[in-house]
This record gives sequence, structure tokens and C-alpha cells, in this order.
Amino acid sequence: MVVVVLGTALAAIGAGIAVGMAGLGSGIGQGIAAAGSVGAVAEDPDMFARGLIFTALPETQAIYGFLIAILLLVFSGIMGGASSLTTTAGLVAIGAGSAVGFAGLGSGMGQGITASSAAGAVVEDPDMFARGIIFTAISETQAIYGFLIAILLLVFGGIL
Amino acid sequence: MVESITTIITTLGFPSVDAFIGALFLVLAVVAVIVVISTIKPVLDMFPYTYPNARVRARSGRLFTDKEFSEIVEADNIEEVKNYLRGVPDYAKYIDQYPLEKALDAQLAESYDLVARITPDNSKEVFKFLLKKWDIRNIKSIIIAKQAGLNLDETLNLLVPFGTLTDKLDTLVEAETVTEVLNGLEGTEYPKILEDAIPLYNETGLLLPLESAMDNYLLENLLRSSATPEDDNTLLLHNYVGTMVDVANIKIILRAKADNLKYDDIEFYMISDGYQIREWKLKELMEAEDVAGVVSGLEGTSYAPMLSDAMTEYSETRSMSSFEMALDSHVFKNGKTISLKNQFGIGPMIGFLNKKEKEIRNLKIIARSKREEGYSTAMIKEMLI
Repeated sequence: MVVVVLGTALAAIGAGIAVGMAGLGSGIGQGIAAAGSVGAVAEDPDMFARGLIFTALPETQAIYGFLIAILLLVFSGIMGGASSLTTTAGLVAIGAGSAVGFAGLGSGMGQGITASSAAGAVVEDPDMFARGIIFTAISETQAIYGFLIAILLLVFGGIL
Repeated sequence: MVESITTIITTLGFPSVDAFIGALFLVLAVVAVIVVISTIKPVLDMFPYTYPNARVRARSGRLFTDKEFSEIVEADNIEEVKNYLRGVPDYAKYIDQYPLEKALDAQLAESYDLVARITPDNSKEVFKFLLKKWDIRNIKSIIIAKQAGLNLDETLNLLVPFGTLTDKLDTLVEAETVTEVLNGLEGTEYPKILEDAIPLYNETGLLLPLESAMDNYLLENLLRSSATPEDDNTLLLHNYVGTMVDVANIKIILRAKADNLKYDDIEFYMISDGYQIREWKLKELMEAEDVAGVVSGLEGTSYAPMLSDAMTEYSETRSMSSFEMALDSHVFKNGKTISLKNQFGIGPMIGFLNKKEKEIRNLKIIARSKREEGYSTAMIKEMLI
């Protein structure tokens, strides 16, 4: 039986928060974007590709959370190989997971709302596509901040 | 570093690092739950509107632009107008099937039908009820046709193939007289609605009481069904419907006062309550001496400024059209304002119906002008809303 020390267990919680919260935000955002895109495609079948792009945009938050979670799992020793983490490092891991998780939650939902509106705007006026993508991409920045801080915490917190 | 953290934790009053971590998780869990609930709630409120809004925005994008309206206005004759509409998929399917006015109404009814089908549950009741507009419109068309002695084909050309009475329409159009039509409505909700109006019709032979009773039934019930605002969306819907009710009441009173009618003559035709203009105010307006008295009685409401402007024109021309155009324009402007207020809720749907109504009304104005002689392009453009 594998013995998991407290530091590693904390990192596992960090990984859970990272992928859980980011996935929640991304899932809700993508659901909203998909509902808007389906409505657009129902009226104009040519909207399928553009609707798919708008629906795919809120996926990135889940990817950031997933990456941080994988890094935490690999470098905390829970998957074997690396040495176990200290309790302090485990707390840092929770910080990293929370950073990317909560940033992804807000960013994902916001991006979903914008993507849905953009899909509606594009089906109303096809020339809105590029501007719709730009507006939708702006909500990405919060997730990038969370992701960068999580990486910095992992690097300078002694986990990576 | 570990020692310094342990010291900090001890100075905070925790007996051990494990106890601190346990407390930290508890706090984090509570914060996480609060954050998740407070951020998800408003998002979930707007979620049911994303699909219908995308659909109506797609249809809004297909509405005619000012440039396209100019092209239609410049058509040489009614056939050119029809040809133009044949090139627009939303209209093409009806243009060759029905006479032009019926085709336009069918397209409008289809738009209402779409919104009633796709709107979320909290506004569905109002939009579903709004579909009765086509039943009432069809019943009115049939009784008018019977009164005017139109034949079966002429009567059928007046009917819009939408609403809940489509199965019954075949029986109703075959009736010989207005009374037979009214008898044919047995089994529907309309005999009860018309029970006060039928004796008046029998007495005077005028269709106005019947038409008015049905119009009032529609607007009163729309106002009532939208009067329990659960959220911002139903509140806006109530504002939209309420403005239509107020405008309908103001039009009746203004027309009545222009014809020197008194309180008792008007009362039957009024919708008993309004939105901005409540029951007591309606009574006050009905008791006004003349048109100017009605206009001054509306001081303090949002209808006052535009009616004061229209009053100047009425004083010169004695034509009610200045009031009617001002009030219709107010309804459209109000619809536009509402549509911009809640972009992630009911706004786009109200905006779409509002713009569609305006488009159909303008197309009908163009169609009428092209049928009759003597209307220049500039004159038609002047008449458009």
C-alpha cells in the first residue's frame, strides 16, 4: 500500500481544486456558448463552423486547470517517482490549484456568456465574426493570470 | 522555514499544524461554496435565454435594412414588390401561396409562433396567450366578411393560417351570417367573452362591440398574465404589454372625444385597467370635455410630450392620424428601449417582435401605396413608421 504524506495529500487537494473549479467554469461557459451556437445554427446552418469555434473557446480554462493538476500529481509523488512533498509545499500546491481553479471558474463563465452573445451577433451580422472573437478572447486573460501564478507558485514554491 | 510557519501557527492559537490545516480547509470550503453559488446564480438565470436569443437575433439580422426598404419603395408596381419579397426566404414561402397582405400576416404570425415555442418557461404563458391574437384576428375577419357579404374564397383570403382555432375555421367560414359564426364558436372560450357584446350587436347591427370585446379580452389577459413580475424579464414584458394596453385605451378615448361621445358611450369599449394609466385615471380621461382635455389630463405620464406635439397638428388638421402615429411610434420606441435593457434576457425577443411588427406594417403601407395611384416614392417614405 502506498503511504501518502500530508504534503502530498495537500497537493492532491490542490490538483482537485485546479481541475474541478476550472472545469466547472469551463463547463458552464461552454454550455452557455453551445446553447447560443445551437440557436444560431438552427436558423443558419452555415453557422456550424463558427458556432463550434465560439463553443470551443471556453475549453481553455479546463485545459489550464488540467495541466496544473497533472503537474501537481506528477511532482507531488502521488503517481510515484518523485519524492513526497513537505506540508509547506503542499499548502503552496493548494494555492496554485486555487489560483488556476477560481480564475478558470470566473473566466470560463464570462467567456461563455460573451461567446454566446458573439454567436448571436455573427448570425445577425456575419461581419461581426472577428470582433466577436476578440471580445470573447478578452475573458481569457483572467484564466491566463491564474495559470501564470500557479506556474510561478509551483516553480518558486519548490514543487517543480 | 518549516519552524517559522509552525511558530506562526502556534501564535495564532492552533495546537498543531494539522489543526490549522483542518481550519484552513473549512474556511476555503466555505469561501469556495459562497463564490460558486454567487457567481453561478446570475449565470443560470440568463442560461435559458441563450438559445432563443440566438435564434431571434438570427431573424433580426434578416429584417430589412433602410437601404432595402428604399429599394422596395422604389418598385414600380405591386408585382415588383412581390418579386422582391420572393427573393427573401422568410417571405418567399408565403408570397406565391397567399395574397400579399395575407402572406405578410402569415410571416408575422410565424414569428410570434416561433417566439412562443422557444421562449423560456417564465415568459411562455404571455407569449402563448399572445398567439390568441391570430384567433381573434381570424374571428373578426370572418364576421366582417359575413357582414359585408363576401364569398367563401374572399373570406378565406382574409384568414391567417395560425392560432389555435385553425381546425374550426373551415366550419366558421361556411356560416351564412354573423349570428351563425357566433353560434359556431360554441365549445371555445369566445361565447363567454362575447356574452355582453352579442345583445349590443343584435340591437344595433354594429360589429364594433364584438370586435372590441375580443380585443379587450386579449389585452386584459396579457396584462394580467404578465403582472406578476418574478424577475427583470417579466417586469420588462409587463412594461411592453402595459404600454400596448395604455395606447389602446388612449386611442379609444381620443377617438370618442373627437366624436363628442360621453363617459357612458365609451365605458363598454375600454380595457378596465392600464399600466401607467390606472382605472381612476381612465375614468378621469373619459370624463374629459374634449380631445384637449384628454391630452392635458395625461400630464405627468410618458405619453404627454408626444401627444402635446400631436395636439398642435390635430388643432390644424382635425385628423386623428397625428395622435395615432405618435402613439404607434411610442409603442415601437418603448419596445426598442426595452430590447436594449436586458440583452441576456427577454430583451432580444421583445426587440425582434417589435421590429417585425414595424417591418410588416411598413410593407403593408408600401403594398397599399403601390396598388393605388398617385403615391410618389417620397410620399410613401413619409408614411413609413
